[in-house]
Amino acid sequence: MTSKNMNSFGPLPRPIAKKTLRGVNFICNAPQAQAVSLVGDFNGWNPAAHPMRQMPDRAWFLKVDLHHGHHRYAFLVDGTLTLDPRAQGITRNDNGERVSLVPVS
Amino acid sequence: MKQTEAGTPGNQREAAKSESAAVQNRKIHPVVIYPFKQPSDYFDLKALYELIARLDAEKDKYARPITVMDRKTHYAMERTKPFLDFRKNTVARHSDILDAWCVDTCQMWYSGLGMAFEKGGPEDVYWLIPGDFNYGTAVGQEVLGRLHDLPEIIVELQQDLCIGEIATDHNNSKQLIDTYGTFALLYNWFPAEAQEIRQFTERPRSEFLAVRRGFLGELLRQRWYAYEQTVVMLLQAVFSRKRISRFFVGNISDVPEGRESLASAMQQVERTERVLKTLWRERHESKAGWTEQYRVLETQSEQVLRTALIILQNLLG
Repeated sequence: MTSKNMNSFGPLPRPIAKKTLRGVNFICNAPQAQAVSLVGDFNGWNPAAHPMRQMPDRAWFLKVDLHHGHHRYAFLVDGTLTLDPRAQGITRNDNGERVSLVPVS
Repeated sequence: MKQTEAGTPGNQREAAKSESAAVQNRKIHPVVIYPFKQPSDYFDLKALYELIARLDAEKDKYARPITVMDRKTHYAMERTKPFLDFRKNTVARHSDILDAWCVDTCQMWYSGLGMAFEKGGPEDVYWLIPGDFNYGTAVGQEVLGRLHDLPEIIVELQQDLCIGEIATDHNNSKQLIDTYGTFALLYNWFPAEAQEIRQFTERPRSEFLAVRRGFLGELLRQRWYAYEQTVVMLLQAVFSRKRISRFFVGNISDVPEGRESLASAMQQVERTERVLKTLWRERHESKAGWTEQYRVLETQSEQVLRTALIILQNLLG
């Protein structure tokens, strides 16, 4: 389906999308970890802001509502900043550490 | 005194105002590299130019797209009506065509990015779009839907260079060239920089990229190589500590016309070696005793090259 704000692919005018939030699933496969949290630009890289939940398969999971755009993030696995191997991109944060990148459209 | 004047609150306000205006007026410049070899049908190109048409329509965000077309392509097809129709009705309608005589694709990049640069403003972003991919397939459509992320990452995350990465299987010629050729040679000539590059991408020769104006300006002013320009861009980005990102744009394979034969794969590895060798010399020739180190690296490089060619011959021959 194609309309001004909906299209099967490609860039679109996003006056509405910019204001909306979209749920994004984060999964961290660290079965032996004691604690995992999600840190990123969206929570000021605060380890306490988004603790992740360990699921029955022992992977860590969290769904977070994010605004349209590109967000830098990483997992903090027992205090160690860890890249998401499933991420769509890689960049660096303001401290020069390699972090993951997620697009939200 | 100029310096004092620049520091006055009034002048600072003016500077902030003009910077803010530049940000407000920021444009993304799409530069399409038209396929050198004309495909047998226009299926993939039509899909690509549907995207270009949408970019052209979104004038507040995108500058008028540029299509770089090699004159050799034009003259090879000048009596072919479908080509002339497609050029006139689609390519020229949605983009400015830059007709240029080019020795290689990288010269098409240089011409196209250079032309876009001259039209751009201080906060602009330049987006390179290769034309010779299978955009008409389902996977290609998915890729077209992700390409716009590259310039947006530059804008939103204040990056200097964003490389689009495509997934291929281990035996794909591009993968083989990069594993046994490009990276092996990079580790010989620029080992520290090669490690940094590989932290970001497995595709140092990707043709999908976006670049911030400041960095593009630096690149355009430096020596431009006829080939393997992405490798050079990545090296320059690491040399000058630029902000690099990598973004996965999908699984895609080259259209058959552009797929590497063994001869083409060998040529690409040889070209990479030539470029790296020249770049190394340029960076070291002012240092005393550089020739000795150069000879050592050159001997090693020849060994790496020979090994790469044997592997490519075994797997692609």
